[in-house]
Amino acid sequence: MTTQQTDLSGVRTTVDKANGLPNAHYIDEAVFQEEKHALLFSQWAGLAVAADVPAPGDAKPIEFLGMPLLLLRDNDGEVRVFQNICRHRGMILVEEPRKIEGAIRCPYHSWCYSTKGKLVSTPHVGGPGHNTHDSIDRDTLGLNEVRSHIWRDVVWINVSGDAPAFEEVHADLLQRWSDFEKPLYHGGADSRFQLGVKTNWKLAVENYCESYHLPWVHPGLNSYSRLEDHYHIENPGQFSGQGTMVYRQLKGKAGNVFPDFDGVGDKWDEQAEYIAVYPNVLLGVHRDHSYAILLEAKSTEETLEHVHLYYSVPDTDAHLRAKNSALWKDVFEEDIFVVEGMQKGRHVPGFDGGRFSPVMDSPTHCFHDWVADKVLSHRAQTQAQAQAAE
Amino acid sequence: MSTALDAAMIAAHAAHDQGALIRLYTQAANEANAIDAACFYLTHAYVFALEAGAPEAPALHARLKEHGREA
Repeated sequence: MTTQQTDLSGVRTTVDKANGLPNAHYIDEAVFQEEKHALLFSQWAGLAVAADVPAPGDAKPIEFLGMPLLLLRDNDGEVRVFQNICRHRGMILVEEPRKIEGAIRCPYHSWCYSTKGKLVSTPHVGGPGHNTHDSIDRDTLGLNEVRSHIWRDVVWINVSGDAPAFEEVHADLLQRWSDFEKPLYHGGADSRFQLGVKTNWKLAVENYCESYHLPWVHPGLNSYSRLEDHYHIENPGQFSGQGTMVYRQLKGKAGNVFPDFDGVGDKWDEQAEYIAVYPNVLLGVHRDHSYAILLEAKSTEETLEHVHLYYSVPDTDAHLRAKNSALWKDVFEEDIFVVEGMQKGRHVPGFDGGRFSPVMDSPTHCFHDWVADKVLSHRAQTQAQAQAAE
Repeated sequence: MSTALDAAMIAAHAAHDQGALIRLYTQAANEANAIDAACFYLTHAYVFALEAGAPEAPALHARLKEHGREA
């Protein structure tokens, strides 16, 4: 593990002069821990999708960078995220996905919580058969809720609790994709898959941002989607990605297609966009379907990609849906050797982070610049807190 | 508590049979001679009813509250 802070000065310049992030940002446990706070806990990170808990009472335990959380749809249908521990002894409350019929009962001493997190019962807390005590104020001992926001069915969380509101942080993106503010429906079991990748999560973001690699890594796209049909998307400090002007709808044997999102507009007839929403959510929108990829950082060099596909109506053609899932899975699998290869490359001592194409790599540099900015801000904040404590 | 009731409770616990647990602990409360013992069993019946979202929960809560044992 490194004991010195990485030098990010080479990143924080224009793309024509910049280097990529230093090796340590991909292979060093200390930097991984630093980035956990700077890039994931203190921002709006993707945790899961609301479709994971489709009905009231559905509960799913999820570990987020080692932190046990509980994704729960309360009895009124609102999706919430709690720390998955009892306020009594810190015991894990829910071990497996299941339905909460009434209350969440801690398996240790049976303190009970409502699906809204309220502490509703504290059996024997004042002695056998005495279930109250003056020192146990139930109103202050509910489950600790993690700040969350749902957008495009993604459950975004801000663990630190002090980020500006999601709508404020992502106002530009919400405006950019306002045409797609329509009901969207998860395609179900055949429209979700996972890809385990031996790479740092940031390399998956970086690869997703740019279209430079498309003709080489995805040659199947060359027949209709040439490099010059793509454009960069860059919004420093928030997101970057790429768009295409030649999107073609997938067709079934009978020429059938997925229905468009209602009133999405002519602009999107052949246009589609693919955006990495910093830190860890990769989104794609098309006239007739969309997807979300949540990057779960399992460790410094392991990432689990959770892929979910969405449609404009609840019921779509199952055959076409399966074909679309297979198509996207093929594309995403084509990227695996690249992100794993770059990860291996980060073990070459002295690699300078690489040089970018000033023309083709700016969306990736945009992400690096965001990483550097957030890490440096975090360091400054940590240093200020340490000085204040002295 | 009778041996039969005790055995039934143990079996209900083993089977995670919440309906039986609610019923058996309520029965134990009803048969208890002392208020403390009754409230002990009522507490268990109430907790299992809460967990299950069972319709017995409000009445069990009311009984505990009547004895100053629940908020």
